[in-house]
Amino acid sequence: MTWSLSAHARRLLTLALAGLVIAVIAGRPAFAGIAAPAVLLLAAWRVDRPGSVAVRTSLTEPRLAENLESTVRAELRGHGDFSAELVIDPADAITAGQSVILPAGARGGPVYLPFTPTRWGRRPVGMLAVTLRDRFRLTEGRVLAHLPTIDCRPHPAQMDRSVVLSRLPSRLGEHTARAVGEGAEFAGVREFVPGDRQRRINWPATTRHGALHLSTFSAERTQNLVVIADATTDVGEPGASTLDLVLRGASGAIRRYLAGRDRVGLIIYASSLSWIGPGQGQRHFQRLIDLLVSSPGGWERTAQLARLPRAALPPGALVLVFSPLLDPRLVESLRDLRERGFSVLVIDVLNAEPAHEGGRLSALTSRVWRMEQQAIRFSLTQIGVPVVHWDGVSSLDEPLAPYARRVMVVHR
Amino acid sequence: MRKLRWATIAAAGMLVIAVILWSAAPISAAGPGARIAVILAIVSGVACLVQLVVATATLAESSGFDSPLERLARGLVTSIRALPWPELLIIAVLALEALHRSRPWHTAVLGVALLGLLLSVHLAETGAAVGVLRRQVPVIAAGIGLTALAVGASALPGLPSGPASSVVRVIAALAAVVACALAVPTWLSRDR
Repeated sequence: MTWSLSAHARRLLTLALAGLVIAVIAGRPAFAGIAAPAVLLLAAWRVDRPGSVAVRTSLTEPRLAENLESTVRAELRGHGDFSAELVIDPADAITAGQSVILPAGARGGPVYLPFTPTRWGRRPVGMLAVTLRDRFRLTEGRVLAHLPTIDCRPHPAQMDRSVVLSRLPSRLGEHTARAVGEGAEFAGVREFVPGDRQRRINWPATTRHGALHLSTFSAERTQNLVVIADATTDVGEPGASTLDLVLRGASGAIRRYLAGRDRVGLIIYASSLSWIGPGQGQRHFQRLIDLLVSSPGGWERTAQLARLPRAALPPGALVLVFSPLLDPRLVESLRDLRERGFSVLVIDVLNAEPAHEGGRLSALTSRVWRMEQQAIRFSLTQIGVPVVHWDGVSSLDEPLAPYARRVMVVHR
Repeated sequence: MRKLRWATIAAAGMLVIAVILWSAAPISAAGPGARIAVILAIVSGVACLVQLVVATATLAESSGFDSPLERLARGLVTSIRALPWPELLIIAVLALEALHRSRPWHTAVLGVALLGLLLSVHLAETGAAVGVLRRQVPVIAAGIGLTALAVGASALPGLPSGPASSVVRVIAALAAVVACALAVPTWLSRDR
């Protein structure tokens, strides 16, 4: 704990000294009178101070989503007759709330200091600054305590409908497949053959045809989804950069498909590949989100990323790619995926372009860059990889509407 | 809490204007150097208020490619935060008052206003309520009483004028201030 003269005491000292000096130099006793209240207040200086104070801090919720307010729980002991002001000195991408003032001699319960993380990621909250003040507010004792680290999840993009493939793996799930099976969706009527269940007999059709007919139902199957999050580039406005949109979109898609009992895997495409194979359930969701948040991202020229790992891509899986499509190696990987027979859908999150100074050459460069980007997207569309643009503000359902409205036909 | 802070900043603003006007008036009667003192007082007064306003503001992170205007604003805010403007204001205002001829009651009112300004600046920068000053009220009252005594002593007509009598008066006032400064806190803390 460091003790020092408070700013208030320094000002009183200035007033007292200036008054007394002018009184002596100018020979005007009235200036000594000006110094009187300041000298009296300074004379109340206390020497006895608490030798040490105990601060205990914890987070009320160590895992939270970006832009959601949380609180730090702080307990302070040993401040005695000194009042204490507790305030969070925030780290980057953290907004601290109001400070809390504990009156002199206050005891008991903890205090709660609000803060809001403004960006996803595993990051420290900052420091807890405790300032002790005596009753005349002349002395200040200052303590800094490190606050714990938070796991801030990206705010998931809204996604209420999912894209479903026409061919689904034969695993029990909740999507209505084209194949006939044991689901609840009526598929048609066919003639009875020995061994069929009698409760499925369709009596209106039987009386119309004069022979036993029974109802058939569609099979209900699960879908394998692999989300590819392109973390190689991070361009655009902070808070709405391509990486922000990639992670928000990916976490929205993961949440939506896992809620629909689908099997979801994740590949982080950065300077190195990190991936988790498809799975289901709440624990799997936490693993995927942890991978999203902890991935360092970045770009490395020498990294060999063209071919994505076979183990992370089960056959017949739908591949949703969130990317600004600025890394040519990812574009090559997508072509490779398409050649391997996967159904790939790219959600383009590029909402920024290089700034130009307004000169003719600069404008020409920008135009060439835009045309190059259009060419990349056009070439992907031509090989059967649809590219939709997402602005990061609207729901993901808007760009995906043409593919979510009906089943997405698989072309091999 | 935010409303309270703005109220104390407004009070500090009014007191800044009051002490500058009070110590400067009448400017024509002041000695040489009064104009410089007035300018210094105005600059430090404005900077003091700006310092209170921007105290809790957080500067946006520099992107490394700031425009000259942004760099200027950033440097201005940093320097305003760094310098002790209230102390400069006190010195400028007292110097301005000293440049006028002797007017004890006028000086005493200035002293009370300066004390009020310092208290309001402290409340504004710490965000504390006026209630935290409740325990200081007896000491402040005793201090103002001493100011009145010092002013009264300096206005006594009976003493002969001259440098020796002025020195005697100053020493008497200083002795009274120091004696009370030692006695009053002891007396106040006797029941603890």
